[in-house]
Amino acid sequence: MKESLTDVGTFVAEYAAHMMGCGVHTSRVIRCAKRIGEAYGYGVRVSVFQKSLIINVQGDSPQERYNEVTEIPALPISFAHNAELSALSWDAHDDRLPLAEVRERYRCIVEAPPLPPWLVLVLAGVANASFCALFGGDWWARGVVLAATAAGFFLKQRMTAAHVNHYIVFALSAFVASLCASASLLLPTATAEVALTTSVLFLVPGVPLINGVVDILEGHMLNGFARLANAALLIVCIAVGLSFTLMLVKDSLL
Amino acid sequence: MIAMDVLSDALFAAVAGMGFGAISCPPKRAFPYIALLAAVGHAARFCLMTFPGVDLATGSLAAALLIGFGSLWLGRRCRTPMTVLCIPALLPMIPGKYAYNMVFSQIMFLHTMGDAHGRTLYMDMFFSNAMVTCSVIFMLAVGATLPMFLFPKRAYSITRRR
Repeated sequence: MKESLTDVGTFVAEYAAHMMGCGVHTSRVIRCAKRIGEAYGYGVRVSVFQKSLIINVQGDSPQERYNEVTEIPALPISFAHNAELSALSWDAHDDRLPLAEVRERYRCIVEAPPLPPWLVLVLAGVANASFCALFGGDWWARGVVLAATAAGFFLKQRMTAAHVNHYIVFALSAFVASLCASASLLLPTATAEVALTTSVLFLVPGVPLINGVVDILEGHMLNGFARLANAALLIVCIAVGLSFTLMLVKDSLL
Repeated sequence: MIAMDVLSDALFAAVAGMGFGAISCPPKRAFPYIALLAAVGHAARFCLMTFPGVDLATGSLAAALLIGFGSLWLGRRCRTPMTVLCIPALLPMIPGKYAYNMVFSQIMFLHTMGDAHGRTLYMDMFFSNAMVTCSVIFMLAVGATLPMFLFPKRAYSITRRR
């Protein structure tokens, strides 16, 4: 029995909005949404903007259409959702799964618990300390960067959970991380400046930067520039946070 | 000694790549591949800059291309889109020192506005560092995404089971 147009349309709209929200580049979202529609014999057209998307699903007759405008939710970036939801669209297409099963798998993917926040905090701290080592920082500097990243990242997690504006989150986290890293100026290390340099780099918005370039090169100019503008604003926020610390300690650096 | 330098560079890059990847919540099966790509990419740039004396931007482009092709090849094995593997692997190559010097020179420029010598010095420092930072980030992005456009069919069906 063929799945109903409304059921497929509602699901595809929710699926595409979730993918956009968790940091998937535009052409992949469109391809995956079309693939799911195709699996049930419907043509899907999607028009994607930064904050909302418009979906049109064509039924069997020209009069039969499903249209929806969906708001894109502001979700944390998730590579796991990106990978699993892309794979789900292929499974629906290749194995001709019933819509109820696809819905169930979708629910399992989006409700799966993410990595525990404490583990992410530890990994981010160790990563930034390694980054400090790559820039030539000694063991003192690496230790300070580990602690500074942990402090900055903890603050970021708390403020994000409290739904603080994300520009403020980035500026404050950068300020706190770099201020903690400036403690290296009091320690017997010749690489205090390396510690200051690396302390804020865990905040670099790599995903919108790369997705922005991919979108622009694939012709999704508006979304690409919107992503790059977002990334540029976040980088400015990191610079503002770091600047406050530098203004406090610049005499020790000269 | 040189082999140790290359190995330690690769090791630190692998740890940094995995940690930065963890922030964006990748599937658990992707971690070893991210580590491998980050290590190979960073070590390749290190070797290119140390031995033939290639500049930072060109070295970054070569390393990003390596990561891009690597993620196209390995992405098929772990059923993850290219960007899931290549973005965390690229992050340890962000030119942090130059970005930092950019911010520092801007503050010092504003601080030494009254002094012609200091103003010129920090203005020069700001633009030199801004040019390197922007060029390297651009090269990283272009290098990593180029394989996607060279082999679109493979890149677009990378999460397919059959």
